[in-house]
Amino acid sequence: MKIGLSCLLILIVCVLVAVMSCVFVVDQTEMAVRTQFGQPIGEAIKQPGLYFKVPLIQEIHYFDRRIMEWDGSPTEIPTKDKKFIWVDVTARWRIQDPLKFLQSVKDETGAHGRLDDIVDAAARDTVTKNTLIDVVRDSNRKLQFTEGIEDLTRESDEDFKKSDVGRSQITASIIETARKLMPEYGIELIDVKITRINYVESVQKKVYARMISERNRMAEKYRSEGEGEKARILGQLEKEKKRIYSEAYKKSQEIKGEAEAESTRIYAQAYNSDPEFYAFMKTLETYEETISPDTTLFLTTDSELLQLLDSSRITR
Amino acid sequence: MTDKKHDHHDQDHPVTSVKELFKIPARIDKAAPHIVLIIVIFVFLVLFLTCFYTVQPEEVGVLQRFGRYIDTAGPGLHFKLPLGIDHLKKVKIQRIYKEEFGFRTVKSGVRSEFEPERKIDEALMLTGDLNSVVVEWIVQYKIKDPVKYLFNIRNPKKTIRDLSESVMREVVGDRAVDEVLTIGRMEIETEVQKHLQEIFNYYDMGVEIITVKLQNVTPPDPVKPSFNDVNEAKQDKERLINEAWKEYNTVIPLADGEKKKMIQFAEGYAIERTNEAKGNTARFLKLFNEYRKARQITRKRLYLEEMQKVLKKVKRIFIIDKNARSILPFIQLGDKVHEGGEGK
Repeated sequence: MKIGLSCLLILIVCVLVAVMSCVFVVDQTEMAVRTQFGQPIGEAIKQPGLYFKVPLIQEIHYFDRRIMEWDGSPTEIPTKDKKFIWVDVTARWRIQDPLKFLQSVKDETGAHGRLDDIVDAAARDTVTKNTLIDVVRDSNRKLQFTEGIEDLTRESDEDFKKSDVGRSQITASIIETARKLMPEYGIELIDVKITRINYVESVQKKVYARMISERNRMAEKYRSEGEGEKARILGQLEKEKKRIYSEAYKKSQEIKGEAEAESTRIYAQAYNSDPEFYAFMKTLETYEETISPDTTLFLTTDSELLQLLDSSRITR
Repeated sequence: MTDKKHDHHDQDHPVTSVKELFKIPARIDKAAPHIVLIIVIFVFLVLFLTCFYTVQPEEVGVLQRFGRYIDTAGPGLHFKLPLGIDHLKKVKIQRIYKEEFGFRTVKSGVRSEFEPERKIDEALMLTGDLNSVVVEWIVQYKIKDPVKYLFNIRNPKKTIRDLSESVMREVVGDRAVDEVLTIGRMEIETEVQKHLQEIFNYYDMGVEIITVKLQNVTPPDPVKPSFNDVNEAKQDKERLINEAWKEYNTVIPLADGEKKKMIQFAEGYAIERTNEAKGNTARFLKLFNEYRKARQITRKRLYLEEMQKVLKKVKRIFIIDKNARSILPFIQLGDKVHEGGEGK
């Protein structure tokens, strides 16, 4: 019985090994093609599950049925307006017909090589036929400039002619061109996208220089606006100042003048009642004011004051 | 006799056979069945354990049988077929994944650390006015449909990254550099998210974008000083204008004050003059009234009174005869005087 147990076990193992060489699993993420002596047999297997094969004679080739990435290496491409740019393109693709795929490119490495040629060429073709602005911009959406420099930037510049094409159309045209060659490889090209565009070193330097001078002009503008406004305000200041002072002067003179007139009128009115008496009083006042201890007085005997000193007078 | 012996042996066998099973026998060939049994039991135990699996609360279990997808299992304990017949893939369905562009967080925390070298290749891009700008951003997403995520796209992370870069450049490429730096940020985030989600849906990736957020957006290093200068220029402009207004607001009120002062002085002068006039004339008129009543005598009186006052003050008085034609030797009434005059 003991011998029987171990024999049974060995038998089970052998059966398992035999079975395993007769079946294969196709994963949810895979497709398979069955070949016999290098020749494909039957249809491609696209549904996942467990399948049978003839051991040793039949070989199974697996292919990924998911969407896969292709990444081209960046290439230097000149645009129609002779701007040299680095363009990096990626694509999403899928194996549509595993049989054709196996027969044409054999595997993914082969596919990548094909994609390199086709998609890069399509990209190059399309980019050289378009201007830089067409490659960069997507729509004719009006650009907003916050520094109020729309007039400063280059409306007249050749670069900025309204883009009729736009990035989406460019990528669409790349896909279209590339797609034409795909079916013979059993490949479905799902999309192509431009992942990066950058200026070539020499052009980048020029762009930086232009950006710097643009900003410098803006800074200039702000500063001179400031100066201008300042001058205007100070001018206004001067004007106001002069106005205030001159008004003050005018008003005070008016007031003084009127006062003078009034007091003159009062005096005149009063003194006119007896001008002679006024003269008399005023003269007396003058004597008081003007005759000081230093004054030397010459009096004649005619003077009313001294009439008594004239002897001829006394005897009268 | 032999029968007896046999009976004796038979009686012994059941007892010893059990013992034998669990005794470690001396010889290998006798031990073989025991070892095999233990191994078999062990193998079955292991297989039994592989029939169960747990799914954590934030996860989902995707089950494949012979490669074919059969079920998605929620959190909890589940059963599956062993020996590689059933294969389980766990997908974190609640977790938010983050992709960084233009920079890398080395250590996140209260104060996150960043890689000092910015990823310039990822970050440098062209704007709609053909300028360059450096944009850092993040994309946060969730796996919405684990089956689609696992079985539709081979390299979801790379796809998400490539597409994010492409879409961001598309959106930035449609805007002027000023917009990208300042006012357009929110719009860019929204548009990129919208666009990107559309593409993800088109590929049926089973990914849902939570948010697209811009981080540092700056002009490229070589032009940064000029950009900063524009901000400074704006401030300079403000400053100049403020200075001018400040001066205005200092001088003008002062001038107004001066004006008021001048006018008030004039008014004061005016009042002074008129009051003076009024006062003087009032005095005169009063006197005049009295004078009218006795003219001659008042006149004489006033005259003599005045002369009294005046002559008292004066130090030197010369009296000259009325007939004198010039200054003659005379009688001094006061101080000595040395000059003589020429006379008759």
